[in-house]
Amino acid sequence: MFFTLLKKELFIEFRTREITISMIVFGLAIILTFAFSSNVSPMIIVNFAPGMFWIMVLFVTVIGVHRSFAYEKEFDAFSMLISAPIDRGLIFLSKWVSGFIFLTIMELFLLIPFYKFLMIDFPIQPWLALGTTILINLAIMVVASLVSGIAMRARLSEVLLPILLFPLVSPIIISATKISGSIMRGEPYALWDIWLLIILTVIVVFGLVGYTLFDFITEE
Amino acid sequence: MQFFFHNKSNRIWLVIIIGLMIFNIWNIIVNTPMVPDQHWAQKIFYVHVPSAWVGFISYFIVMVSGIMYFIKGDEHWDIVGLAAAEIGTLFISLVLITGPIWATPIWGQPWIWEPRLTTTLVLFLIYIGYFMMRAFGGHAERVKRYAASLGIIAFVDVPIIFVSVKFWAPEIQSHPQVEMTSQPPGILIPFLLSLGIFTVLYWLMLKYRIHVIQVNYKSMADV
Repeated sequence: MFFTLLKKELFIEFRTREITISMIVFGLAIILTFAFSSNVSPMIIVNFAPGMFWIMVLFVTVIGVHRSFAYEKEFDAFSMLISAPIDRGLIFLSKWVSGFIFLTIMELFLLIPFYKFLMIDFPIQPWLALGTTILINLAIMVVASLVSGIAMRARLSEVLLPILLFPLVSPIIISATKISGSIMRGEPYALWDIWLLIILTVIVVFGLVGYTLFDFITEE
Repeated sequence: MQFFFHNKSNRIWLVIIIGLMIFNIWNIIVNTPMVPDQHWAQKIFYVHVPSAWVGFISYFIVMVSGIMYFIKGDEHWDIVGLAAAEIGTLFISLVLITGPIWATPIWGQPWIWEPRLTTTLVLFLIYIGYFMMRAFGGHAERVKRYAASLGIIAFVDVPIIFVSVKFWAPEIQSHPQVEMTSQPPGILIPFLLSLGIFTVLYWLMLKYRIHVIQVNYKSMADV
C-alpha cells in the first residue's frame, strides 16, 4: 500500500510538475538574493555558504510541503484519502518519501547555480557531500511532513507551517551547516560525526513519532 | 459552576502560597549568602532556576496530556494540556527575562547562546506557534488534536535541540551555577526551598487555570 501511495504522489507530480518547478524557481531566486546581499564577497561566502545553502533548502521545503498537502485540499481529496481502509501512518510515510525525492531533485538542479553564482569551489569529497545531503534531506522532510500534516488543514496553514517548522528543525539546520562546512574544508569524519548522529536521531525519532501520531492527527 | 475561590480548601491554599512566596522573597534577600564575584545578581538564580524547573514540568504535562487525549479521547486532557501550556509559557517567559538580567553582570552581555537558555528560547518559539494554532487553527475539534500532537513533538525535540546547541558552540561557558550538589548549604537549602514553593505555586495555578478553561468550555457549549 505504501508503494501505491508513493506512486500516487509521484504520478501527480510528474504530470503537473507543480512542486518541483516551484521549488527550483524559488530556490534560484533565493540564491540570487544571497549573491546580491553578500556582494559575492569571498570572505563572506566561504564562511556562510553552508548556512546559506541550508536556509535556501528550508525555505524551499516550506513551499514544497505546503503544495504537496494543499493539492489534497482540492475536491476534499484528503478526506477521501483518510477515509480509505489503510494505515494512515503510510500516508505520512508516502508524503515524507515523496517530499524527500522532490527536495533532492531540486537540490540537484540548484547545486551548480549555487556554487557558480556564489563563486565557491565544489567540495573535495563530492560523494561524501551527496551522502550526507541525502540524510539531511530525509531529516528535514520527516519533520516538515509531520508539521505540514498538522498545519495543513488548519486555517492560516501557510502562516502556521513556517512558524511551527523553523524552531523544530533548528537542530537539523545546526547539524547540516556543521556537516557541510566540515566537508567543504575537508575535515576528518571524527570532527563531525556527532552532527551525523543528531541527523540520524532526528530521522529515527521523528519517523516513529510521525508514523504513530499521523493516525490521530488525521482522525475525523 | 462554582467560582474557584468559593471552595474553602482553594482559599486556604491561596493564603498559604502567598505566605510562602513572601517568606521565599525575604529568605532570598536576607538569608542567602553573597557570592563574591556575582553579588546581588546571583540572587536572581533563586527565581530563574525554579521558573525553568516549573516551565519544563509544565511542558512535560502538556506532552502527557496530549498522549492521554489521544488514548482516552477525553476533553479533560485537552483542557489540562492547554492550562499547562499557558502556565508553562508564562514561567518560560520569566526564564527568558531573568536569564539576561542575571547574565548581564556575569557575562558582560544579556544574551549568550548558552545551551539551556537557547533550548528554552526555541521551546518558547514552538509554544508561540502552539498558541497561534489554538487561536487561528479554525475547526475546534481538529485544533485540539493538532495541539496535542504539537505538545508531544515539542517535548520530544527538547533533548535533540539541547544536544545540538551544546555541541554547536562548545566554547560558550555553561550556566554560572552548574553543579548544585557542590554548593554550600547556605545556597542549596534556600534554593531547594524556592524550588518547592514554586512547584506548589504552579500546582495551584494549574488547578485554577483548568477550572477557568472548564468554565469557558461549558459556557461556550451552553450558548
